[in-house]
Amino acid sequence: MNFGKQFKEGLITNNPVLVQLLGMCSTMAITTSFFNGLGMGVAVLVILTLSNIIIAAIRKIVPDKIRIAMFIVVIAGFVTVVDLILKAFVPALSESLGVFIPLIVVNCIILGRAEAFAYKNGVLASAVDGICQGIGYTIVLLIMCIIRELLGSGTFGGGLLNGGAGLRLIPEQFGIKILTLPVGGFIVLGVLIAAMQWALARPKKKEESK
Amino acid sequence: MSKEAKEKIDMDPKYIIKLTVTLLITCVVVAGILGYVNSITAGPIADANAEKTNTALAAVFPDAAAPEFPEVEISDDMAAAATGYSATLENVYEVQDGGSTVGHAVKIIAAGSQGNIEMVVGVDADGVITGVSIVSNSETSGIGSKVMANTALPSGTGVLDQFIGKATSDQPLKVGSNVDAISGATVSSKGVTKGVNGALAAVEAIG
Repeated sequence: MNFGKQFKEGLITNNPVLVQLLGMCSTMAITTSFFNGLGMGVAVLVILTLSNIIIAAIRKIVPDKIRIAMFIVVIAGFVTVVDLILKAFVPALSESLGVFIPLIVVNCIILGRAEAFAYKNGVLASAVDGICQGIGYTIVLLIMCIIRELLGSGTFGGGLLNGGAGLRLIPEQFGIKILTLPVGGFIVLGVLIAAMQWALARPKKKEESK
Repeated sequence: MSKEAKEKIDMDPKYIIKLTVTLLITCVVVAGILGYVNSITAGPIADANAEKTNTALAAVFPDAAAPEFPEVEISDDMAAAATGYSATLENVYEVQDGGSTVGHAVKIIAAGSQGNIEMVVGVDADGVITGVSIVSNSETSGIGSKVMANTALPSGTGVLDQFIGKATSDQPLKVGSNVDAISGATVSSKGVTKGVNGALAAVEAIG
Protein backbone atom coordinates (compact mmCIF):
# COMPACT_ATOMS: atom_id res chain seq x y z
CA MET A 1 0.00 0.00 0.00
CA ASN A 2 1.32 3.38 -0.95
CA PHE A 3 -0.41 6.01 1.18
CA GLY A 4 1.59 8.87 -0.29
CA LYS A 5 0.39 7.94 -3.75
CA GLN A 6 -3.21 7.67 -2.56
CA PHE A 7 -2.97 11.10 -0.97
CA LYS A 8 -1.58 12.66 -4.15
CA GLU A 9 -4.31 10.96 -6.20
CA GLY A 10 -7.12 12.22 -3.99
CA LEU A 11 -5.74 15.72 -3.84
CA ILE A 12 -4.47 16.26 -7.38
CA THR A 13 -4.11 13.62 -10.07
CA ASN A 14 -7.42 11.89 -9.37
CA ASN A 15 -9.25 14.67 -7.54
CA PRO A 16 -12.94 13.74 -7.26
CA VAL A 17 -14.24 17.11 -8.45
CA LEU A 18 -11.55 18.44 -10.77
CA VAL A 19 -10.57 15.18 -12.50
CA GLN A 20 -13.35 12.63 -11.95
CA LEU A 21 -15.96 15.42 -12.22
CA LEU A 22 -18.15 13.75 -9.60
CA GLY A 23 -20.46 15.48 -7.14
CA MET A 24 -21.10 18.46 -9.42
CA CYS A 25 -24.57 19.22 -8.10
CA SER A 26 -23.55 19.90 -4.52
CA THR A 27 -20.39 21.66 -5.69
CA MET A 28 -22.40 24.20 -7.71
CA ALA A 29 -25.13 24.65 -5.17
CA ILE A 30 -23.43 25.18 -1.84
CA THR A 31 -20.09 26.86 -2.59
CA THR A 32 -21.35 30.36 -1.89
CA SER A 33 -19.97 30.81 1.61
CA PHE A 34 -16.94 29.49 3.46
CA PHE A 35 -18.99 27.90 6.26
CA ASN A 36 -21.17 25.97 3.78
CA GLY A 37 -18.16 24.64 1.90
CA LEU A 38 -16.42 23.53 5.07
CA GLY A 39 -19.57 21.88 6.47
CA MET A 40 -20.39 20.06 3.26
CA GLY A 41 -16.78 19.00 2.76
CA VAL A 42 -16.47 17.57 6.26
CA ALA A 43 -19.87 15.84 6.00
CA VAL A 44 -18.84 14.14 2.75
CA LEU A 45 -15.40 13.30 4.18
CA VAL A 46 -16.92 11.56 7.22
CA ILE A 47 -19.60 9.69 5.26
CA LEU A 48 -17.17 8.68 2.52
CA THR A 49 -14.61 7.34 4.99
CA LEU A 50 -17.16 5.42 7.09
CA SER A 51 -18.97 3.92 4.11
CA ASN A 52 -15.63 2.98 2.51
CA ILE A 53 -14.60 1.19 5.72
CA ILE A 54 -17.87 -0.73 6.04
CA ILE A 55 -18.03 -1.64 2.38
CA ALA A 56 -14.42 -2.86 2.40
CA ALA A 57 -15.19 -4.90 5.52
CA ILE A 58 -18.25 -6.61 4.05
CA ARG A 59 -16.99 -6.87 0.47
CA LYS A 60 -16.25 -10.59 0.71
CA ILE A 61 -19.71 -11.57 1.97
CA VAL A 62 -21.69 -9.29 -0.37
CA PRO A 63 -23.02 -11.23 -3.36
CA ASP A 64 -21.94 -9.54 -6.57
CA LYS A 65 -25.48 -9.20 -7.94
CA ILE A 66 -26.79 -7.01 -5.15
CA ARG A 67 -23.65 -5.06 -4.31
CA ILE A 68 -25.02 -1.70 -5.54
CA ALA A 69 -28.15 -2.10 -3.42
CA MET A 70 -25.98 -2.95 -0.40
CA PHE A 71 -23.75 0.09 -1.03
CA ILE A 72 -26.76 2.38 -1.18
CA VAL A 73 -28.21 0.99 2.07
CA VAL A 74 -24.89 1.50 3.88
CA ILE A 75 -24.39 5.00 2.43
CA ALA A 76 -28.00 6.06 3.09
CA GLY A 77 -27.64 4.85 6.67
CA PHE A 78 -24.57 7.01 7.32
CA VAL A 79 -26.06 10.03 5.53
CA THR A 80 -29.19 9.86 7.67
CA VAL A 81 -27.08 9.61 10.83
CA VAL A 82 -25.05 12.69 9.84
CA ASP A 83 -28.22 14.55 8.79
CA LEU A 84 -29.91 13.88 12.14
CA ILE A 85 -26.79 14.86 14.10
CA LEU A 86 -26.40 18.12 12.15
CA LYS A 87 -30.08 18.97 12.62
CA ALA A 88 -29.84 18.32 16.34
CA PHE A 89 -26.53 19.97 17.18
CA VAL A 90 -25.63 22.38 14.33
CA PRO A 91 -29.06 23.61 13.13
CA ALA A 92 -27.60 26.69 11.42
CA LEU A 93 -25.40 24.59 9.15
CA SER A 94 -28.17 22.07 8.54
CA GLU A 95 -30.41 24.92 7.40
CA SER A 96 -27.95 26.50 5.00
CA LEU A 97 -26.99 23.16 3.42
CA GLY A 98 -30.65 22.22 3.27
CA VAL A 99 -31.53 19.37 0.97
CA PHE A 100 -27.91 18.77 -0.05
CA ILE A 101 -27.13 16.75 3.06
CA PRO A 102 -29.79 14.06 2.36
CA LEU A 103 -28.70 14.23 -1.28
CA ILE A 104 -25.22 12.99 -0.32
CA VAL A 105 -26.87 9.55 -0.62
CA VAL A 106 -26.82 9.94 -4.37
CA ASN A 107 -23.58 11.92 -4.46
CA CYS A 108 -21.63 9.98 -7.06
CA ILE A 109 -18.30 10.49 -5.26
CA ILE A 110 -19.35 8.11 -2.51
CA LEU A 111 -20.93 5.42 -4.67
CA GLY A 112 -18.10 5.89 -7.15
CA ARG A 113 -15.40 5.27 -4.54
CA ALA A 114 -17.35 2.33 -3.08
CA GLU A 115 -17.51 0.65 -6.48
CA ALA A 116 -14.10 1.68 -7.80
CA PHE A 117 -12.01 1.31 -4.65
CA ALA A 118 -13.57 -0.02 -1.44
CA TYR A 119 -15.10 -3.09 -3.14
CA LYS A 120 -11.66 -4.15 -4.36
CA ASN A 121 -9.35 -3.14 -1.50
CA GLY A 122 -8.80 -3.75 2.20
CA VAL A 123 -10.30 -1.84 5.11
CA LEU A 124 -7.24 0.28 5.92
CA ALA A 125 -6.56 1.25 2.32
CA SER A 126 -10.24 2.08 1.83
CA ALA A 127 -10.27 4.28 4.93
CA VAL A 128 -7.22 6.15 3.65
CA ASP A 129 -8.88 6.45 0.23
CA GLY A 130 -12.01 7.91 1.84
CA ILE A 131 -10.00 10.45 3.82
CA CYS A 132 -7.85 11.46 0.83
CA GLN A 133 -10.74 11.75 -1.60
CA GLY A 134 -12.75 13.60 1.05
CA ILE A 135 -9.92 16.07 1.63
CA GLY A 136 -9.59 16.55 -2.13
CA TYR A 137 -13.32 17.30 -2.36
CA THR A 138 -13.24 19.66 0.63
CA ILE A 139 -10.26 21.61 -0.66
CA VAL A 140 -11.88 22.18 -4.07
CA LEU A 141 -15.11 23.28 -2.33
CA LEU A 142 -13.18 25.71 -0.14
CA ILE A 143 -11.27 27.19 -3.08
CA MET A 144 -14.57 27.67 -4.95
CA CYS A 145 -16.23 29.14 -1.86
CA ILE A 146 -13.42 31.63 -1.33
CA ILE A 147 -13.41 32.75 -4.99
CA ARG A 148 -17.20 32.96 -5.34
CA GLU A 149 -17.72 34.63 -2.00
CA LEU A 150 -14.93 37.16 -2.42
CA LEU A 151 -15.71 38.19 -6.00
CA GLY A 152 -19.48 37.64 -5.81
CA SER A 153 -20.36 39.11 -2.43
CA GLY A 154 -17.08 40.80 -1.50
CA THR A 155 -16.72 38.98 1.81
CA PHE A 156 -14.47 36.31 3.29
CA GLY A 157 -15.41 33.59 5.78
CA GLY A 158 -19.20 34.05 5.51
CA GLY A 159 -21.23 32.19 8.11
CA LEU A 160 -18.20 31.79 10.35
CA LEU A 161 -16.29 35.05 10.88
CA ASN A 162 -17.64 38.40 12.05
CA GLY A 163 -20.82 36.96 13.53
CA GLY A 164 -21.83 35.17 10.33
CA ALA A 165 -21.68 38.17 8.00
CA GLY A 166 -18.07 37.53 6.99
CA LEU A 167 -15.23 40.03 6.70
CA ARG A 168 -16.01 42.60 4.03
CA LEU A 169 -13.01 43.03 1.74
CA ILE A 170 -14.74 44.54 -1.30
CA PRO A 171 -17.64 47.04 -1.06
CA GLU A 172 -20.96 45.35 -1.73
CA GLN A 173 -21.83 47.26 -4.90
CA PHE A 174 -18.71 45.94 -6.67
CA GLY A 175 -19.64 42.27 -6.16
CA ILE A 176 -20.06 40.20 -9.34
CA LYS A 177 -23.55 38.90 -8.53
CA ILE A 178 -23.52 36.22 -11.22
CA LEU A 179 -20.74 34.37 -9.40
CA THR A 180 -23.08 33.66 -6.49
CA LEU A 181 -25.55 31.97 -8.86
CA PRO A 182 -25.11 28.40 -10.20
CA VAL A 183 -23.90 29.85 -13.52
CA GLY A 184 -21.00 31.43 -11.69
CA GLY A 185 -20.27 28.05 -10.07
CA PHE A 186 -19.79 26.46 -13.48
CA ILE A 187 -17.55 29.32 -14.64
CA VAL A 188 -15.36 29.14 -11.52
CA LEU A 189 -15.15 25.34 -11.74
CA GLY A 190 -14.20 25.52 -15.44
CA VAL A 191 -11.44 28.00 -14.68
CA LEU A 192 -10.18 25.84 -11.80
CA ILE A 193 -10.08 22.70 -13.98
CA ALA A 194 -8.24 24.59 -16.72
CA ALA A 195 -5.73 26.00 -14.23
CA MET A 196 -5.07 22.57 -12.75
CA GLN A 197 -4.68 20.89 -16.15
CA TRP A 198 -2.21 23.59 -17.10
CA ALA A 199 -0.26 23.08 -13.88
CA LEU A 200 -0.24 19.29 -14.35
CA ALA A 201 0.86 19.53 -17.99
CA ARG A 202 3.80 21.82 -17.29
CA PRO A 203 6.31 19.28 -15.92
CA LYS A 204 5.51 16.92 -18.82
CA LYS A 205 6.25 19.61 -21.39
CA LYS A 206 9.59 20.30 -19.76
CA GLU A 207 10.52 16.64 -20.07
CA GLU A 208 9.42 16.51 -23.68
CA SER A 209 11.47 19.56 -24.63
CA LYS A 210 14.66 18.07 -23.15
CA MET B 1 -17.80 -21.65 -16.24
CA SER B 2 -19.96 -21.79 -19.34
CA LYS B 3 -22.70 -19.24 -19.70
CA GLU B 4 -25.41 -21.87 -19.40
CA ALA B 5 -24.01 -23.25 -16.16
CA LYS B 6 -23.75 -19.75 -14.71
CA GLU B 7 -27.38 -19.01 -15.49
CA LYS B 8 -28.41 -22.19 -13.76
CA ILE B 9 -26.65 -21.07 -10.59
CA ASP B 10 -28.34 -17.66 -10.84
CA MET B 11 -31.76 -19.32 -10.98
CA ASP B 12 -30.95 -21.57 -8.04
CA PRO B 13 -33.52 -20.89 -5.29
CA LYS B 14 -30.78 -21.13 -2.68
CA TYR B 15 -28.84 -18.33 -4.39
CA ILE B 16 -31.95 -16.14 -4.58
CA ILE B 17 -32.69 -16.76 -0.91
CA LYS B 18 -29.10 -15.89 -0.06
CA LEU B 19 -29.43 -12.56 -1.89
CA THR B 20 -32.70 -11.76 -0.17
CA VAL B 21 -31.51 -12.69 3.30
CA THR B 22 -28.25 -10.72 2.93
CA LEU B 23 -30.16 -7.59 1.90
CA LEU B 24 -32.75 -8.11 4.61
CA ILE B 25 -30.15 -8.47 7.36
CA THR B 26 -28.27 -5.37 6.15
CA CYS B 27 -31.47 -3.31 6.09
CA VAL B 28 -32.49 -4.50 9.57
CA VAL B 29 -29.07 -3.65 11.02
CA VAL B 30 -29.06 -0.20 9.38
CA ALA B 31 -32.64 0.46 10.51
CA GLY B 32 -31.70 -0.51 14.06
CA ILE B 33 -28.75 1.92 14.07
CA LEU B 34 -30.93 4.70 12.65
CA GLY B 35 -33.58 4.08 15.28
CA TYR B 36 -30.96 4.44 17.99
CA VAL B 37 -29.53 7.67 16.53
CA ASN B 38 -33.03 9.07 16.10
CA SER B 39 -33.83 8.38 19.76
CA ILE B 40 -30.80 10.49 20.74
CA THR B 41 -31.36 13.37 18.32
CA ALA B 42 -35.17 13.63 18.34
CA GLY B 43 -35.19 15.79 21.48
CA PRO B 44 -32.60 18.39 20.38
CA ILE B 45 -34.20 18.59 16.90
CA ALA B 46 -37.65 19.29 18.36
CA ASP B 47 -36.12 21.91 20.68
CA ALA B 48 -34.32 23.61 17.79
CA ASN B 49 -37.49 23.72 15.68
CA ALA B 50 -39.62 25.03 18.53
CA GLU B 51 -37.04 27.70 19.30
CA LYS B 52 -36.90 28.76 15.66
CA THR B 53 -40.69 29.09 15.47
CA ASN B 54 -40.83 30.95 18.78
CA THR B 55 -38.12 33.39 17.67
CA ALA B 56 -40.04 34.10 14.47
CA LEU B 57 -43.30 34.48 16.38
CA ALA B 58 -41.79 36.78 19.00
CA ALA B 59 -40.22 38.90 16.23
CA VAL B 60 -43.62 39.91 14.84
CA PHE B 61 -44.87 40.99 18.28
CA PRO B 62 -41.95 43.13 19.50
CA ASP B 63 -44.09 44.92 22.11
CA ALA B 64 -45.17 41.80 23.96
CA ALA B 65 -43.10 41.31 27.12
CA ALA B 66 -43.54 37.58 27.73
CA PRO B 67 -45.60 36.27 24.83
CA GLU B 68 -46.99 32.76 24.71
CA PHE B 69 -48.25 31.14 21.53
CA PRO B 70 -50.99 28.54 21.92
CA GLU B 71 -51.92 27.12 18.52
CA VAL B 72 -55.35 27.78 17.01
CA GLU B 73 -57.09 25.14 14.95
CA ILE B 74 -57.41 26.18 11.31
CA SER B 75 -61.01 26.23 10.14
CA ASP B 76 -62.11 25.81 6.52
CA ASP B 77 -63.09 29.48 6.40
CA MET B 78 -59.60 30.59 7.44
CA ALA B 79 -57.91 28.29 4.93
CA ALA B 80 -60.24 29.51 2.17
CA ALA B 81 -59.58 33.16 3.09
CA ALA B 82 -55.83 32.59 2.70
CA THR B 83 -56.25 30.64 -0.53
CA GLY B 84 -58.22 33.59 -1.92
CA TYR B 85 -54.90 35.50 -1.96
CA SER B 86 -52.92 32.52 -3.40
CA ALA B 87 -51.31 31.74 -0.05
CA THR B 88 -51.33 28.54 1.97
CA LEU B 89 -52.07 28.73 5.67
CA GLU B 90 -49.72 26.58 7.74
CA ASN B 91 -50.24 27.40 11.41
CA VAL B 92 -52.17 30.04 13.31
CA TYR B 93 -51.14 30.98 16.83
CA GLU B 94 -52.99 33.08 19.33
CA VAL B 95 -50.61 35.53 20.98
CA GLN B 96 -51.09 35.91 24.71
CA ASP B 97 -49.14 38.40 26.78
CA GLY B 98 -49.63 38.38 30.54
CA GLY B 99 -52.76 36.27 30.26
CA SER B 100 -54.65 38.43 27.75
CA THR B 101 -54.91 37.88 24.01
CA VAL B 102 -53.10 40.61 22.08
CA GLY B 103 -53.48 39.23 18.57
CA HIS B 104 -52.62 36.39 16.24
CA ALA B 105 -49.46 35.20 14.55
CA VAL B 106 -49.97 33.45 11.24
CA LYS B 107 -47.44 31.14 9.62
CA ILE B 108 -48.20 31.23 5.92
CA ILE B 109 -46.60 30.12 2.67
CA ALA B 110 -46.71 32.01 -0.63
CA ALA B 111 -44.88 31.50 -3.92
CA GLY B 112 -41.85 33.72 -4.54
CA SER B 113 -39.73 33.80 -7.68
CA GLN B 114 -37.63 30.69 -6.92
CA GLY B 115 -39.83 28.69 -4.60
CA ASN B 116 -42.01 29.02 -1.58
CA ILE B 117 -41.55 31.82 0.93
CA GLU B 118 -42.51 30.79 4.44
CA MET B 119 -43.28 33.75 6.68
CA VAL B 120 -44.87 34.69 9.97
CA VAL B 121 -47.24 37.66 10.02
CA GLY B 122 -48.34 39.25 13.27
CA VAL B 123 -51.82 40.79 13.37
CA ASP B 124 -53.08 42.53 16.52
CA ALA B 125 -56.60 42.36 17.95
CA ASP B 126 -57.72 45.33 15.77
CA GLY B 127 -56.61 43.61 12.56
CA VAL B 128 -53.48 45.77 12.21
CA ILE B 129 -50.17 44.19 11.18
CA THR B 130 -47.50 44.25 13.88
CA GLY B 131 -44.70 42.66 11.94
CA VAL B 132 -43.61 40.33 9.14
CA SER B 133 -40.73 37.90 9.51
CA ILE B 134 -39.38 35.40 6.98
CA VAL B 135 -38.86 31.84 8.23
CA SER B 136 -37.45 30.21 5.09
CA ASN B 137 -37.07 31.06 1.42
CA SER B 138 -35.04 30.20 -1.65
CA GLU B 139 -35.06 33.58 -3.39
CA THR B 140 -32.16 34.54 -5.65
CA SER B 141 -29.15 35.58 -3.63
CA GLY B 142 -28.46 39.29 -4.03
CA ILE B 143 -31.81 40.06 -5.71
CA GLY B 144 -34.87 38.45 -4.09
CA SER B 145 -32.84 37.94 -0.92
CA LYS B 146 -32.92 41.73 -0.45
CA VAL B 147 -36.65 41.47 0.21
CA MET B 148 -36.08 38.59 2.63
CA ALA B 149 -33.41 40.59 4.48
CA ASN B 150 -35.79 43.55 4.95
CA THR B 151 -33.60 45.92 2.88
CA ALA B 152 -34.60 49.58 3.12
CA LEU B 153 -36.79 51.02 0.38
CA PRO B 154 -35.95 54.46 -1.11
CA SER B 155 -38.34 55.91 1.51
CA GLY B 156 -36.06 54.55 4.26
CA THR B 157 -38.50 51.93 5.58
CA GLY B 158 -37.54 48.27 5.38
CA VAL B 159 -39.42 46.37 2.69
CA LEU B 160 -40.93 44.04 5.30
CA ASP B 161 -41.45 46.84 7.83
CA GLN B 162 -43.67 48.77 5.37
CA PHE B 163 -46.48 46.32 6.14
CA ILE B 164 -46.52 47.33 9.82
CA GLY B 165 -49.61 49.42 10.52
CA LYS B 166 -51.45 48.20 7.42
CA ALA B 167 -54.87 46.79 8.32
CA THR B 168 -57.69 44.71 6.95
CA SER B 169 -59.32 47.93 5.69
CA ASP B 170 -56.31 48.56 3.41
CA GLN B 171 -56.88 45.27 1.56
CA PRO B 172 -56.14 44.20 -1.02
CA LEU B 173 -52.49 45.15 -0.51
CA LYS B 174 -50.91 45.36 -3.92
CA VAL B 175 -47.40 46.01 -5.16
CA GLY B 176 -47.46 49.26 -7.12
CA SER B 177 -50.43 50.80 -5.36
CA ASN B 178 -50.04 50.58 -1.59
CA VAL B 179 -46.96 48.36 -1.34
CA ASP B 180 -43.51 49.27 -2.65
CA ALA B 181 -41.29 46.59 -4.21
CA ILE B 182 -37.50 46.42 -4.16
CA SER B 183 -36.43 47.27 -7.70
CA GLY B 184 -35.48 44.10 -9.58
CA ALA B 185 -37.20 41.91 -7.01
CA THR B 186 -40.83 42.54 -7.88
CA VAL B 187 -41.79 38.88 -7.87
CA SER B 188 -40.29 38.29 -4.41
CA SER B 189 -42.01 41.45 -3.12
CA LYS B 190 -45.29 40.24 -4.58
CA GLY B 191 -44.80 36.86 -2.91
CA VAL B 192 -44.50 38.46 0.52
CA THR B 193 -47.53 40.65 -0.22
CA LYS B 194 -49.60 37.57 -1.07
CA GLY B 195 -48.68 36.02 2.26
CA VAL B 196 -49.52 39.21 4.19
CA ASN B 197 -52.87 39.51 2.41
CA GLY B 198 -53.63 35.87 3.15
CA ALA B 199 -52.70 36.29 6.82
CA LEU B 200 -54.93 39.36 7.25
CA ALA B 201 -57.84 37.57 5.60
CA ALA B 202 -57.31 34.44 7.70
CA VAL B 203 -57.25 36.39 10.97
CA GLU B 204 -60.41 38.20 9.92
CA ALA B 205 -62.04 34.85 9.27
CA ILE B 206 -61.36 33.79 12.87
CA GLY B 207 -63.95 36.40 13.81
